[in-house]
Amino acid sequence: MALSRIDTTNMIEDVPQSKIDNNINFRNIIINGSMDIAQRGTSATGIGNGDSGYHTVDRFKFVESGSPSTVFTQSQSTDVPTGQGFANSLKMDVTTADASLGADDAIYINTSVEGQNLQYIKKGTSSATSLTLSFWVKSNITGTYIFEIIDRDNDRAISKSYTISSANTWEKKTITYPGDTTGALDNDNARSFELIYWLGAGANFSSGTLQTSWGSRTTANDAVGQVNLGDNTANEWYITGVQLEAGTTASDFEFLPHDVNLQRCQRYYNKYIGASGSNTGSSYNGSTGTFFVYFPTAMRATPTKSSTSGTAFYRFYRLNSNDAITSLGDNGGGKEFMSFSFPTTSAAGTGGELGVKSGGVLEADAEL
Amino acid sequence: MINKENILSVEKNYNTHGNFVSYKTIYNTDKIWFVPLDEANTDYQAIQEWISEGNTVIDNPPE
Repeated sequence: MALSRIDTTNMIEDVPQSKIDNNINFRNIIINGSMDIAQRGTSATGIGNGDSGYHTVDRFKFVESGSPSTVFTQSQSTDVPTGQGFANSLKMDVTTADASLGADDAIYINTSVEGQNLQYIKKGTSSATSLTLSFWVKSNITGTYIFEIIDRDNDRAISKSYTISSANTWEKKTITYPGDTTGALDNDNARSFELIYWLGAGANFSSGTLQTSWGSRTTANDAVGQVNLGDNTANEWYITGVQLEAGTTASDFEFLPHDVNLQRCQRYYNKYIGASGSNTGSSYNGSTGTFFVYFPTAMRATPTKSSTSGTAFYRFYRLNSNDAITSLGDNGGGKEFMSFSFPTTSAAGTGGELGVKSGGVLEADAEL
Repeated sequence: MINKENILSVEKNYNTHGNFVSYKTIYNTDKIWFVPLDEANTDYQAIQEWISEGNTVIDNPPE
């Protein structure tokens, strides 16, 4: 077949141009800023002091340190700003109030970023790039709130405030942080940036002057002026559309396909629930069997594993029958897979399937 | 994700080949976590801090 010459004269004009400003793929440093992925569950009640960790929406961690008595319900909410394309938000609902925080009390939501994903902002060089944060927020408590960026590699920080002006109204906020010419970030899989939405700060975190320029971190300057969201059980705070990007302007929120968003979260956490399928297993020596679970994507680090225990939470199907299994042991693994052990009376070498049944839950956690 | 303040006990865990592969960690919620020997794992870091504070890891190696 002979090739025809293609006339490209008007081709560029004929291609529909994106209506999205600064439409660079994966420009959002934040993973799951749309709050759409919640592998652990959609609601967690009674989270308070000692419950720091990931409870609902992936990649967003609840932190409560010191000894505040504030208790929250955290949930993935469908309350979202109208007409912006969001389906979910993260909600913090106060269920036990603490109107008088102690000096070392701190309450916040954070998300952390690996250093190897931040090299392009050129931190610690004369070409360091500014960062712009944008997000939607709603609360019944108006006033001053703080968003802080902490450079964990160099113990440097910058904090800026935003104001919730109207109660119970979704508002879009945009904050620009200058580039930091000091303190290069490690090029590895460890936490370099900790990004913090403050919700309450005792005097040890708020008695200084808000540090609105990059500098060595002084905790007293972290969250000066921050309202105490937890001072009344009527209080609640919602957030969605969180985007942090290079540059001095906020582009439209970068919506990712669900599968892409999920896979990015699965680098940090995977959960397998009962009846979610079976995995190839075999008897190792006549008393102990092993099986493997392969992750959908390589995890950030070798994950911590956990499994629930209970009667027939797992079953080993082999030789046209099956064994009920109550609990599993750890048999090692890596970033790509995890291996569990289980009791069996089948002869060594007997192959089969290990089913995760009702009540059975396997978790792999490599969060920052 | 483990908070070292809530750790009840930590025991060395050996796989079917008899190799030390993780720390079996019992948490205040009675949940059991197996923490791998990976310095990049933040739970591993938390256990090292817990050990450095004077806490003892149980070790019952397979015979």
